[in-house]
Amino acid sequence: MAPAPANTLGYKPPDGGWGWMVVIGAHISIGFAYSTPKVLSIFFKAIQEDLGASYSEIAWISSIMLAAMYAGGPVSSVLVDRFGSRPIVMLGGLMCGVSMVIASFGTSIAYIYFFIGIIGGSGLCLNLNASLTIISKYFLVRRPLANGLAMAGSPVFLCVVAPLNQYLLDRFGWRGSLFILGALMLNCCVAGALMRPVALPPRRRDSRASLKTVEEQRSGSNTEPEGSCVKKAKKFINLSLFKNRGFVFYLIGNMLYIFGAYAPIVFLPVYAVSQGLDNYSAAYLLSIMGFVDMFVRPCTGLLANSKWIRPRIQYFFSFAMVFNGVCHLLCPLLNTHAFLVAYAVFFGVGFGMVFALIFECLMDLMGSQCFPSAVGLVTIIECFPMLLGPPAAGFLVDLSDDHKYLFLLMCGSVIVAAGLFLFVANLYNYHMLDKEKAQKDQEQQKLRTSENQEQQKLRTSENQEQQKLRTSENQEQQVSTAEGEREEHAAESVTKQTGTKDDNEAQA
Amino acid sequence: MSASWGKLFFQLVLLLASCGHINTKTPSPTSPSLDPISPLPSDIRRVVLKGESHTEKVELLNPVDLALECIWSGNENKSPNITGYWRKDGEEMQSIRVTVQLENDKYTLRQVFKIVSKENLGSYSCSFGDEAKADFLLAGPQIGEVRDKPIVSYVGDSVVVKCKMDEKKPKPASWNWYKANGTDKEQIFYAAEPQKYEIKNHEWVTKLVVHKLTEGDSGFYYCEGVYAVSTTMGHVELKVITFLEPLKPFIAIIVEVIVLVAAILIYEKSQSKKNSAGGNETNADQTNTPTPGDNNGPEESSSTRQRKV
Repeated sequence: MAPAPANTLGYKPPDGGWGWMVVIGAHISIGFAYSTPKVLSIFFKAIQEDLGASYSEIAWISSIMLAAMYAGGPVSSVLVDRFGSRPIVMLGGLMCGVSMVIASFGTSIAYIYFFIGIIGGSGLCLNLNASLTIISKYFLVRRPLANGLAMAGSPVFLCVVAPLNQYLLDRFGWRGSLFILGALMLNCCVAGALMRPVALPPRRRDSRASLKTVEEQRSGSNTEPEGSCVKKAKKFINLSLFKNRGFVFYLIGNMLYIFGAYAPIVFLPVYAVSQGLDNYSAAYLLSIMGFVDMFVRPCTGLLANSKWIRPRIQYFFSFAMVFNGVCHLLCPLLNTHAFLVAYAVFFGVGFGMVFALIFECLMDLMGSQCFPSAVGLVTIIECFPMLLGPPAAGFLVDLSDDHKYLFLLMCGSVIVAAGLFLFVANLYNYHMLDKEKAQKDQEQQKLRTSENQEQQKLRTSENQEQQKLRTSENQEQQVSTAEGEREEHAAESVTKQTGTKDDNEAQA
Repeated sequence: MSASWGKLFFQLVLLLASCGHINTKTPSPTSPSLDPISPLPSDIRRVVLKGESHTEKVELLNPVDLALECIWSGNENKSPNITGYWRKDGEEMQSIRVTVQLENDKYTLRQVFKIVSKENLGSYSCSFGDEAKADFLLAGPQIGEVRDKPIVSYVGDSVVVKCKMDEKKPKPASWNWYKANGTDKEQIFYAAEPQKYEIKNHEWVTKLVVHKLTEGDSGFYYCEGVYAVSTTMGHVELKVITFLEPLKPFIAIIVEVIVLVAAILIYEKSQSKKNSAGGNETNADQTNTPTPGDNNGPEESSSTRQRKV
């Protein structure tokens, strides 16, 4: 049985109130972060013609942007830890906006690689990391719901910005569109302004000890790295995270998932056309998927928040992955238009469920202190499967015209494998955690009993000492009172003064 | 004696040959000039008339002897003879009006036309009396991609206007570019203004590069692909705008961002002032009361044992 969510923050998070405004800010920020690399592809043809670049050169823009966005994770974690989320999101928004505006004046493809790809990508990276971090600071009980709502920004922005971009392109050409898009990205600064830092209560000496609830006790092994995370957050890559079993399992499962996750999106239109659909309907399939995704993410967050699922959230995550993979595996059996639409719907459901939970599960595993550095590490490692996945699938697509479903089989099986791996791994992990916890409880008990014994010993010895002290005091007192009496007597006798010296001497 | 027989024989052959050519003369009313001896490739288009009229598109690129055939099954009263005649671009070709016999329950009208130049293209119609008609539209191939949305570019920038022929069809021998000037089309000569225009042709694609755009460069541009006998025309619209156009929404959005950020920060300041005015409530214990003490696991921060008083 998985433990209930651990409160390792050191304070009780608001779980509401201004937190919902923060969710809105995170929604906007994450929306821009995930949708921008995809919607830029609308401009590619126009840029290609104007700057005389080849198709593959143009496609690099998206890849560089995604790579910068994911690879900048560790840097972003360190900055967020140092400065807090608000200034970082505002800086990220500023970087993106300015880079787009400058790129609109570009005269060569290298110019665009640098400004949109590298600087824009880095700006988005800052946005992403900071938004996720602040959600983990503001929410605990309602965190899955908050995560689901924030991650829903990605499909919402995709559905809104894509037609907007098309309109801008027709109206202003690609230069004017990038110019205006840059201004739109400055809205990330508005999102950043919403991310008010959490009002922390003053740290008291015994506050950390007093805050541990009973539940936190049960996830005892998680608290050990917590303290180390706070210290090591200044480092870029916190290798001690790899000692955490849960983290390593999560990483492996996620790498497999990401390898197979994006390729179906990229190649679905190609596949649909090969099955006899026309270009317009094929593109429409992706819109359907995005639309479904928009609603599935918050619903998944709500579902994950319920008391039946929250403790078992890692298993729910595995289930979502397996569902997604099975969807892909079944797709080759469907080749009519109606079936492909149904596939797009189920794909949207699966994809949305996984992405609503993907960061929530990491927060659940790592706790809020470790999460920023963990997410930075996860994103930089996920960079590789993300960049390798679509070309590998593309290779399969090009391999044969008759068997265009091969890439779906590959992606589906990889994703199902990831889901099953995570399921088994989490079973093992929780089993080991329970065992360790039981051991720890025993040790604690022993420690307590031994401490009690020691305390008792101490007390008895103290009592004995005190008694001794008291008796010796009494004796002294008696002695001293006796002395006093004697002195008085002596004084009297001195006043009387007749040959009593001998007596005095004898008495003294 | 044999020489004169030989000459006679030769002249006879010539006569026969020229007689053979008379039936395939060009459809223009004027008498044709001497036909070239080199044979042209031949092609045939056949149309079976069902109902009143029919239109068939014929794409022609190279000179060809084109045979056009119309077959009609007739109407209720199948008269044995009917007049069949041809029209080019609406004008009747008097010289080839024939009487068509009813054969196998249908009328067949066939004519071979020599297509060697642009004038030979157009609309050819075959008619059976006044009752059935078919049209053949002889033209060059359609341009492959016609861009329906205008290309947008900026003053002072340079732009590439592209025309692409379908790669399944043969490539044009050359390309011409025209700019619409009112209702006319004015040809753009490459050499005349080399600073302004550049034409790059590459197989199926032609590109017109226009440098140093001005607002006057807006309008329609026509690309014409030239084949042996035909040409084909495509058009692209170019719109040139100044930088002020996207600047207006840009400034509007910037203003909106600044206003929102300022509003949020001011609201926050006012909230915190209220809070600090109402006593240090925010610093109040959001923490739980200390749970009675059996929870000291390996705690890194407080290693001292708590002695509960």
